[in-house]
Amino acid sequence: MTTMIQVENVAKSFTLHNQGGVNLPVFDEVNFEVAAGEALVLAGASGAGKSSLLRILYGNYRPTRGSIRITHAGRPVDIVSAVPRTVLDVRRRTLGFVSQFLRVIPRVSALDIVRDPLLARGATPETATEKARAMLARLNLPERLWSLAPATFSGGEQQRVNIARSFVDPSPIMLIDEPTASLDAANRDVVVALIAEARAAGSAIVGIFHDEAVREKVATRYLDITAFRKA
Amino acid sequence: MTMHQMPAGDTKPAYNYAYLDEQTKRMIRRALLKAVAVPGYQVPFGSREMPLARGWGTGGIQVTAAIIGPADTLKVIDQGADDTTNAVSIRKFFERTADARTTEATEEATIIQTRHRIPEAPLKAGQVMVYQVPMPEPLRRLEPREAETRKMHAWAEYGLMQVKLYEDIARYGEITKTYDYPVMVNGRYVMAPSPIPKFDNPKMHMSPALQLFGAGREKRIYALPPHTSVKSLDFEDHPFRIQSWTEPCGLCGASDSYLDEVVIDDRGGRMFVCSDSHHCETRREAGHRGTMLGDATASGFVDLSPSTVIPGDRREARDPFRNPTEQGSGMDPGSAVGSARDDGADMQTGVKS
Amino acid sequence: MTLHATFPDTALEPAPLLSVAGISRFYGERIGCADVSFDLWPGEVLGIVGESGSGKSTLLRCLAGIDKPDAGEVLFRGGPAPLDIYSVSEQERRRLMRTAWGIVHQNPRDGLRMDVTAGGNVGERLMDRGDRHYGAIRERALDWLQRVEIAGARIDDRPRQFSGGMQQRLQIARVLVSEPRLVFMDEPTGGLDVSVQARLLDLLRVLVRDLGLAAIIVTHDLAVARLLTDRLMVMKDGHVVEQGLTDQVLDDPHHAYTQLLTSAVLGV
Repeated sequence: MTTMIQVENVAKSFTLHNQGGVNLPVFDEVNFEVAAGEALVLAGASGAGKSSLLRILYGNYRPTRGSIRITHAGRPVDIVSAVPRTVLDVRRRTLGFVSQFLRVIPRVSALDIVRDPLLARGATPETATEKARAMLARLNLPERLWSLAPATFSGGEQQRVNIARSFVDPSPIMLIDEPTASLDAANRDVVVALIAEARAAGSAIVGIFHDEAVREKVATRYLDITAFRKA
Repeated sequence: MTMHQMPAGDTKPAYNYAYLDEQTKRMIRRALLKAVAVPGYQVPFGSREMPLARGWGTGGIQVTAAIIGPADTLKVIDQGADDTTNAVSIRKFFERTADARTTEATEEATIIQTRHRIPEAPLKAGQVMVYQVPMPEPLRRLEPREAETRKMHAWAEYGLMQVKLYEDIARYGEITKTYDYPVMVNGRYVMAPSPIPKFDNPKMHMSPALQLFGAGREKRIYALPPHTSVKSLDFEDHPFRIQSWTEPCGLCGASDSYLDEVVIDDRGGRMFVCSDSHHCETRREAGHRGTMLGDATASGFVDLSPSTVIPGDRREARDPFRNPTEQGSGMDPGSAVGSARDDGADMQTGVKS
Repeated sequence: MTLHATFPDTALEPAPLLSVAGISRFYGERIGCADVSFDLWPGEVLGIVGESGSGKSTLLRCLAGIDKPDAGEVLFRGGPAPLDIYSVSEQERRRLMRTAWGIVHQNPRDGLRMDVTAGGNVGERLMDRGDRHYGAIRERALDWLQRVEIAGARIDDRPRQFSGGMQQRLQIARVLVSEPRLVFMDEPTGGLDVSVQARLLDLLRVLVRDLGLAAIIVTHDLAVARLLTDRLMVMKDGHVVEQGLTDQVLDDPHHAYTQLLTSAVLGV
């Protein structure tokens, strides 16, 4: 299988300059790889740095040390040292991030939010609309909400919009942070199925799943973050 | 045009020939030469005090004084007429100070000093038109800063001028400017043609005569050498059009001249007559008869005084670009010498807008 | 399989649209901005954040060619040949400002002609570049008014009759109608109500994306920066103290000053 992510010697610590310059080490010497079609589930106690690692993979947090090579359009790109526009291009085409929360953009309808990644990758408006509608329906979001901006939606509804947006056109690499936190059982199963489909289609998955049942169904491999923890 | 030094003998002793001293005339001629070399470009010059206030045509008089010689024949028109106070005064001024021959006949004149009109009779090679200019800067009402308008001319940034025309069409359905209608000279400089009616704009285009413009108060001279392209600004789908009238001149029957509307009694009676008095007389002498000539002669109205002329187009008063402080300029001489006013606020005189 | 070679960068476009090198501007002893360098690629939106007096407005004025810096170079590659904006003639710079560049001022009165109708304001750049078909100019103006959500029926109204938010949207239409490559915005949502700000921000976000504009936005509002910009430069006392991807800088700030800025705001 193609290696999609190669993490080498990554360390992360936070320095809080406004609190006496206190240094908070998170982890050190993190090394692992993820291949296409794999679903790597990060394990470890709360506060072990699972979310931080996921954000580092996305280029959101900057590691103190190390490199992270992402296979982007067939070529490895070090997301740590890449210039901003390269990171943005990698995110647009290769790297998807599914967070717990939808970042609500004022006045943009749920349907448009879901359509957006398809349009950004060059789909026709018709195709994009069709796929977006199908995805929202699959996640059981009432149709009357589709044309509304999600600012007033409940947490669960917003999360389903977020998931629909992420899975309407799965990226070659999907980074998933607690996607099922506020979903009911039926929708949780839909998410599990979506992840399985993305993986079957060749996506590399790295995720954090609080719900043990979901974790069991999704994971092909586990990585215990605590092992890297610097005491 | 003859340029020469003071003639011997018979000039009035109190004045230099043509009133201005020779150094001043040289300075003005240098400005004129530069203006001719760069058609439509405003050349600064050291405007002198004249025996009338600035803003009453001193720019035109200084230009005429700088170019006139004893061999010249001068015609002066004001509102198109040769017999108004201002026209008569300026003619007399040059008769006294420059020994100039004067005429009312367009074709006899070598220099025609004018305010508000270009004669109807075609101009010829060798003739010089001298325009009195109150406001030489066509962009001034759009852009008050002189440094900025100079840059706009220097780099031909004329979008703003077009915005003004756009605004007219957007608000009134047409370009409402009826006089001092801006022109593009030689494809390069936007120029104010002075307060002539837009009817006269086409006469400037490729004219065989030399056209000189003098603004005394604003201290600018500009020029159109013979055979220069002069295009009135417009839009492709709102092309420039001159005024037209539904009836011919009531006195001479001309249907191709610029007409003034004249009140002929106190019961609302009115007639349209040529604004170019010499043109009208020439036609009548040639036997042309307007429908109202008999009545007008009987009532003594053939000798038309411009003070009875009423403004034709009042829309100009709503011009949104007009700086209101310039309209009621403190230099308003009042209606008694109204015909000498040169502030461009109105084509007509005697009636305040 | 192991990956041997790495390519830290991908060539997406041949060259940056704007290359800024070593811009410094001093006011006597005081530093306006010091040694600022960056590249801006087509379609990129750069935010410059910092408190009042941090030098961000000074920098913007230098970048936009309004002020000349004491040192440094700005190269613009929007035309056939790269243009050093401090060595080109004033004429060329003015032409640039009316065509390939645009400035959105914080106060719409600085960017609009208040006595000219909305249509005339939007149409001016078209007439600047030589458009002379009234109907076509009006049609473009109407289209742009609608794009910035101003009713077409107001095309012949003057900006004085508009609310602050509408004036700002009109200013944006006036700038964008000539399809500039690069737009400078100085606190574009400053002085507007929060609800009006949200609408304007969304509009800007969509326009920037749809038109592929490169933009440099000066703001002290981190929420504005988060929503509109791809990259961020954090300025303090005339110096750039931190820069990077907007979400990196805001979510994982490294410099003490940036940490202070981000911690002072809720829910950015």
